[in-house]
Amino acid sequence: MPVCKVLCSLGPWSSDAAWFSVRTMFACAALLAFHGTIAAEERHPSGKNGAPATIQVPADHAARMKAGQELFRREVRAVLVEHCLACHGGESVKADFDLSTREALMDSGMVGDSAEESHLISLITHQAEPHMPFKAARLAEQQIDAIRRWIDLGAPYDRPLVEKKDGAPAKAAGITEADRMFWSFRPLANVRPPAIDAADPHAAWCRTPIDQFILAAQRAAGVYPNPPADRRTLIRRVYFDLLGFPPSPEEVAAFVADPSPDAYARLIDRLLESPHYGERWARHWMDVARFAESHGYEQDYDRPHAYHYRDFLIQAFNAGMPYDQFVRWQLAGDELEPDHPLAMMATGFLGGGAFPTQLTEAEFESARYDELDDMVATTGVAFLGLSIGCARCHDHKFDPIPSHDYYRLAATFTTTIRSEIDLKVPHAAEPVKVQVSSEGFPHMKHHADARGYPHFYPQTFHLARGDVSQKLQPAEPGFLQVLMRDGKSPEHWRREPPPGWERTSFRRAALAAWITDPHYGAGHLAARVMVNRVWQHHFGVGIVATPNDFGFQGEPPTHPELLDWLAADFIAHGWQLKRLHKQIMTSAVYMQGNQVDAARATIDPENRLLWHRTPRRLEAEAIRDAMLVVSGLLDDRMFGPGTLDEGMRRRSVYFFIKRSELIPMMMLLDWPEHLVSIGRRAITTTAPQALLFMNNPQARSYAEGLAARAALRGADDTDQAFIDAGFALVFQRAATDAERQFAQAFLKQQSSLHAAAGHAADAARRLARIDLCQALLSMNEFVYID
Amino acid sequence: MQRSHATNFWATLSRRELLRRAGCGLGILGLASLLAEEGLLEQPAAAADLGNRALNPLAPQPTHFPAKAKAVIWIFINGGPSHVDTWDYKPQLEKFDGHSIKEFDPDFKNTTGFFKNAVGNLMKSPFKFRPRGQCGKMVSDLFPYLGEHVDRMAFIHSGHTESNNHSPALFMMNCGLPRMGFPCVGSWVTYGLGSESQNLPAFVVMSDPKGRGLPKGNAANWSAGFLPGVYQGTHLRPTGDPIENLTPPAALTAEAQRNQLDLLSQLNKLHQQTYEAEAELAARIESFELAYRMQAAAPEAIDIDAEPEHIHRLYGIGREECDHFARQCLVARRLVERGVRFVQIYSGGMENQRSWDGHADIAGNHRQFAGETDQPVAALLGDLAQRGLLDETLVIWCGEFGRLPIAQTGDKPGRDHNPHCFSAWLAGGGVKGGVSYGESDEIGYKAAVNPVHVNDLHATILHLLGLNHEQLTYKYNGRRFRLTDVGGRVLHDILA
Repeated sequence: MPVCKVLCSLGPWSSDAAWFSVRTMFACAALLAFHGTIAAEERHPSGKNGAPATIQVPADHAARMKAGQELFRREVRAVLVEHCLACHGGESVKADFDLSTREALMDSGMVGDSAEESHLISLITHQAEPHMPFKAARLAEQQIDAIRRWIDLGAPYDRPLVEKKDGAPAKAAGITEADRMFWSFRPLANVRPPAIDAADPHAAWCRTPIDQFILAAQRAAGVYPNPPADRRTLIRRVYFDLLGFPPSPEEVAAFVADPSPDAYARLIDRLLESPHYGERWARHWMDVARFAESHGYEQDYDRPHAYHYRDFLIQAFNAGMPYDQFVRWQLAGDELEPDHPLAMMATGFLGGGAFPTQLTEAEFESARYDELDDMVATTGVAFLGLSIGCARCHDHKFDPIPSHDYYRLAATFTTTIRSEIDLKVPHAAEPVKVQVSSEGFPHMKHHADARGYPHFYPQTFHLARGDVSQKLQPAEPGFLQVLMRDGKSPEHWRREPPPGWERTSFRRAALAAWITDPHYGAGHLAARVMVNRVWQHHFGVGIVATPNDFGFQGEPPTHPELLDWLAADFIAHGWQLKRLHKQIMTSAVYMQGNQVDAARATIDPENRLLWHRTPRRLEAEAIRDAMLVVSGLLDDRMFGPGTLDEGMRRRSVYFFIKRSELIPMMMLLDWPEHLVSIGRRAITTTAPQALLFMNNPQARSYAEGLAARAALRGADDTDQAFIDAGFALVFQRAATDAERQFAQAFLKQQSSLHAAAGHAADAARRLARIDLCQALLSMNEFVYID
Repeated sequence: MQRSHATNFWATLSRRELLRRAGCGLGILGLASLLAEEGLLEQPAAAADLGNRALNPLAPQPTHFPAKAKAVIWIFINGGPSHVDTWDYKPQLEKFDGHSIKEFDPDFKNTTGFFKNAVGNLMKSPFKFRPRGQCGKMVSDLFPYLGEHVDRMAFIHSGHTESNNHSPALFMMNCGLPRMGFPCVGSWVTYGLGSESQNLPAFVVMSDPKGRGLPKGNAANWSAGFLPGVYQGTHLRPTGDPIENLTPPAALTAEAQRNQLDLLSQLNKLHQQTYEAEAELAARIESFELAYRMQAAAPEAIDIDAEPEHIHRLYGIGREECDHFARQCLVARRLVERGVRFVQIYSGGMENQRSWDGHADIAGNHRQFAGETDQPVAALLGDLAQRGLLDETLVIWCGEFGRLPIAQTGDKPGRDHNPHCFSAWLAGGGVKGGVSYGESDEIGYKAAVNPVHVNDLHATILHLLGLNHEQLTYKYNGRRFRLTDVGGRVLHDILA
């Protein structure tokens, strides 16, 4: 059992050798289709009276095979692998039925010319015994349906389900044209927003091209969109989306009263220029970058100079740094702009992962390969939405990522290590220590230095099954074949260092060039992935619901043309994130209200067509930051070292992220573990969260701050004025009559309870008001934003 | 699955009722689809009827097949107990005392353990072994109390792991991989089965209360990894409030807090009128009621003063040597009785003399830590049995690795880490008593007969809980993960 392995819990067969020796037989889709046809014809000789079978290819054969393969790749493969393979060709062959390869399947007699004639369908639809899958739940209707359609299309495979055991390792596997045409890998479609029939009663709803895509899909399904939300709702929505906290009551009042038609657009422009925008969006990226400020593992030593990466993110977002540059600097800022402090700070991305501190000699090399894996996997997921890490032990089970490509990417990072260097950074008078990931600088101190930990090895090898004791040939730096077009080789992206430059290898500069090259490299996918991330944070769900998986196992886009249009537009306009925000936020679909009715809900219960807005729970940071803002307690100083002190009053992005001491309050509200890239946080509702709002000393102190602020703001010292001030500060609206009545009755009763507990009348009244404020900060309306 | 008949809000709030409460039920469907995308609702068949898991991730879940065990108490022998000094009797080691291990394994490397410059010769156990119980199991004199229970135990003598270093080995034993960032067994079990307790966390961890620190790797050992954070272990803090935020603000009497929560509920219900379709909002309203009850239930559950004097004596409470561990074992029993699913108690803190990590003076070290745990763990087994709970509670005694049969040289000889072999035992919860599975080689250096990988141990634990380790999966970042990675074999030979 190799010491280091990559998890692919797809079944017991998945740890075995690579399949590409088989796969080279199927070098291209056409050959494969042809091969499949022969097998079918042999089983059903068309000649009568013993006449030799002839190969008859129907006119639509190629199209059917292509469609069948696509269906296989998208839907059928996963079902067979998941539910059938273990007993039928994977671990064992039960009932003499093997479906691991197409030949075996066709030989089995279980599959006929159509689904109708296939015994396999009778078994999985439970029309014949034994019901399949054996002693397990019936397959879902849509899975059965996919298998039916696939058999009707001739049951083609794109490649066998099982890797051949004696496959020669570390050979370049072929990537088929079909692989390259998968929706996320293929070039961006040159699409135009669909025309909307002027006679459509909702045609006037459209404000931007985005809306044309949305409305066209809605109309095709028979639903229609909501009108815009009211202005108070809108300004709160954009504040939370862009800055991560609510507006002041005055800002809301001014916006609601602003008669000019461009008031909303100006509001967005203003917020995009706020320094707090970078704080909000840097934090989103920190999830993706699995950024933390300690090593993790045994001693969990701090990385006291890692925060500069967070400061880079904030400044990059605020400055409107083009996204392609943002990507390039994180991978190779030290090579591309070595004199620019922000470019150096950006490389903190690569060194953000957890890494063992207590290492024994026996673990040195595998630990370094684990570290390379962290860099490869995080790069793949963050920028390309691909689980490249799956290809560490074997070719990727679903995506066209051979193990060969994995090690070539890993070789890019061969000599990249963490270092701490002195830099003159923005916002600091004197040079400070900055943690960077680069080459040729002295390595960062490590616990195992005394034992001779080498930090890196000069050469990265292809490994059999991810095992450092099974080295194959040295790996040359390279990229994913499926994302190199027009016959380009890695040479195409080679970058020459300036004359006299020796400190680094410029391998990462080449990686950065490839990953942001939309013409021949991976740039079009990088754009799709980022556009989707931005969309997700504005709508709660991305156009692709799995932001970190744009592979075959991920969710397909709900609006593929829109995704491509947005990505192409993003690239064409210089990868400008602020422009993208505004583009999305000025659309009618973003601005719409929350009305729901049964008729539309029946057609699209999951709101995939975006016909209404859904309230979303704020993330941990936004909840805490909003409490600080409305209670008037926020300390808005930016940048610099973070802290572990829960009592600090700066924004939550300035918590020090120590892997063994993650901030308890944040953790309760679904803060990530900061160990691997997170594209979309879980949102849970639990009793311990409620206890946080009820009993946490910080939460109580925010309520005290709010009570003091509301008392000052009140028109007079009456409960009525206090309640109005509280609602204005917390929700930027007036209390309703019902709310007022409840709150007034509460203050009265609560004061007498406190008085009965021995408090003087003044103190009892003050405590009751704090209790009211705490309730306001605990309300659903406070943590769910419409 | 229903052990407790107490009303569980989440269990009783049926999907239909939620749909009714939530108006047209859109929120549920919407959330269910979101969870399905994220892998929370894995099985297509299950997705249809798991509306309540979508709303409450801790709602009880059906098992894959009937379970033998409903709860687990894992006594984690932290630091790596020496198998040849505890449960794995090796007469040959006595015979070859003082010989070089290279006589047995010419390839032995000085880097097998942790200290490459302190490699001594084979060393016999400083402890006497004698047969115990009906089965006549040879047990070291470290365990006068536990020796009484060998007929309840299934021993594994051929365990092996993948790291010779504490924290990777701890991660391996807890999470199935020697790396950080993966969900631990307790989290997988909680994810797979949900919680039976309405008022208590499903997965509770207790660490050393004597100031000797946390196990290496700290809270990552009870982390939910990429599973939603709700599945992580709740660490009962050794001092102060055992659970965060359990004590109301000083200014709030119980009555005042109740009144405050009533106001909150009134205001939330007004707000909800605008969002009838959003079931999440209803769930959050209920979560405050649940929290209010938890506030009372959690202190009650861990209040061992409520136990009679004879129970205190049974566990060894009041005996200085083992008082702290006795209290934790008794808390564990009370938690399991109240529906807590998975309890882990760490014996010892960090490394060296603070845990079972007997690099120096193996005799003194193991004497001390066995003394801290022997009576309490034995009492736990007996107490669970007399209450009829042992049949459905799996008790595990296991550390992160074993120790080498050679001496680690020093003033008083110790033993260094050994990833190639360790011993463990399981009791109750559907395992056979008085049996031994697998063997180490004649000196206890490596697993020799029927080797048991950590994945196999995990597969067996899940099996006893009614979960198929290959089916308990979670899709994350494009991959389907499971606790047992690509391995795992259920040890049917030790199942009752």
